[in-house]
Amino acid sequence: MTSVNPFIPNSATLIKVTDLTYDIKLLNLQLEDPVLRENFDYKPGQFGFLSAYGIGEAPFGFVSLAYRKAGIEFAVRRIGTVTAALHELEPGATIGVRGPFGNYFPLDNYRGKNIIIIGGGIGMAPLRPVINFILDHRADYGDFLIINGARSPRDLVFANEFDTWAQAAITKVELCVDRCDDKWQGRVALVPDVITQLKPSPVNAIAITCGPPIMIRFALARLKELGFGNEQIVTTLEQKMKCGLGKCARCNVGDKYVCKDGPVFTFEQISKFIEQF
Amino acid sequence: MTKVITKEDLLSWLRQLAEKYTVVAPVTSNGVTLYESISGSEVDKIDLSFSNTELSPKNLFFPPTEALFTIVQNERPEIIPAKVDREAIIFGVRPCDARGIALIDKAFLAEPADGFYKEKREKTTLVGLACSAPCPECFCTSVGSSPADPTHVDLLLIPTEAGYITQIVTDKCKQLLMGAPVKEAEAVQPSLPSLKSVPAEGITEVMSKVFNDPYWDRVADRCVHCNICAYVCPCCYCFDIRDYVSKGKIERVRSWESCQSAGFTRIAGGYDPRSTKGSRLRQRWYHKLLYFPEQFGDIKCTGCGRCVRSCPVNIDIREIINDVQRMRA
Repeated sequence: MTSVNPFIPNSATLIKVTDLTYDIKLLNLQLEDPVLRENFDYKPGQFGFLSAYGIGEAPFGFVSLAYRKAGIEFAVRRIGTVTAALHELEPGATIGVRGPFGNYFPLDNYRGKNIIIIGGGIGMAPLRPVINFILDHRADYGDFLIINGARSPRDLVFANEFDTWAQAAITKVELCVDRCDDKWQGRVALVPDVITQLKPSPVNAIAITCGPPIMIRFALARLKELGFGNEQIVTTLEQKMKCGLGKCARCNVGDKYVCKDGPVFTFEQISKFIEQF
Repeated sequence: MTKVITKEDLLSWLRQLAEKYTVVAPVTSNGVTLYESISGSEVDKIDLSFSNTELSPKNLFFPPTEALFTIVQNERPEIIPAKVDREAIIFGVRPCDARGIALIDKAFLAEPADGFYKEKREKTTLVGLACSAPCPECFCTSVGSSPADPTHVDLLLIPTEAGYITQIVTDKCKQLLMGAPVKEAEAVQPSLPSLKSVPAEGITEVMSKVFNDPYWDRVADRCVHCNICAYVCPCCYCFDIRDYVSKGKIERVRSWESCQSAGFTRIAGGYDPRSTKGSRLRQRWYHKLLYFPEQFGDIKCTGCGRCVRSCPVNIDIREIINDVQRMRA
């Protein structure tokens, strides 16, 4: 009889730590088991659990692309006990990884379409592999607009990658902040207002958004004003998760478990939820 | 003629089984009946006339706390998975509680399955005991079961004056019964006790329409979120996962939780989609009466009545079901 205990993580070695902001670190990991490392596959939108042994486990979206084979990356914001412990670790440390879990952005179905990415704060993390996937397959997609907002300039994540993104063909990167400092030359505006200012066309377009619930709610309203249909707007939801298996019964929105049925949902699906997220 | 085992023979059979298996059976002490591990010499302690145990047998597969694995800090951290004990026999499971286990099975064995739980389930045989007298709060017949429902046990014993009628349900039990002193005898199947009925029929349909009714806040007003309803429920399975560190040994522990706990759904950063008591209480009833039926086809309630008996503020599922049915426009 073989039975798998799905709570047992795979050990990984922390290879590199990069500061994305003052409170967000990019962790690059390598799975210790060479066979698993070679075959470990995940897609943009999926997530995994990271373990700081002795402290606990928390879920994070993959921010790397499996096929690039450059390690597994997660953006970790120091905000609770597990993330504080992960921030303390030095390269060479062991971190537990469980995953991948959940569904993913159906990027193959979006080929030929214009793509609008709308990310707020750490919400850009699960969108980064989407952006990099589209840039890796640039000819397969139409116009590409990236709107990235944060509370302040120092809260913008992946700032060192904006130039690379903007240099791709027919790709526009629009940054905005709620509050600015003296050095900031860009927009001082809320993400939903930037959507209204830029007026992306809904024709043959898909909008992919992730950010705080309040931003998602207003972004949705503005997109709908511009003529986007519910099925053209895709998001990834965040809920408290413990198991990733649809069993511990805390990440549900109505009868859907975000960990198992999501985290990626279209607003067509969300509009049918009995419960607000 | 029916297959019957007398009380004396039943006890001596259990005495034999206890040599090879872990035997768990209801024991009453100080007026409280609970499942306990019984050694061969202790079978006389088994309470054969209990009405039902204080806590359901879910504890035996899904205990209040259990280590999922241990981490030993060698040069690199080494993970040691938790092991499942030898095969167990749970004796004296009431049909409602067997159904409770079957409902948890639906959730825990659905893909991706919880293999650790699965192994414990596969290594256990359930010997059911039909009910002769219902508890005052029981309503199993209203939620698809009955006092002598054999559906979710491996073997059902039905008490009669001549002894226990043995109704073999699964092959697992056939093996166990080999060599057991079961005799052919005249035994009259007792008539089933009659239970009060609760109008659970069609409840999911009404539930899907009354999500935003102020009723849920009103019921929640008196809830003291003690979580006892979830702990005594034979089919509630919310859980938490935490690390427990002691003397250099790290255990990752799964423990009972309840959707009624404040902060159950609060994410890092403070946002909580169910920050009010009303939204949490509503979640409990919606999971039982709408979401679980939508996911797995059955109402997540066995009609055992434990939550009714235990709630300190008399929140009563029978009343909730009646109230919801009255909201049917």
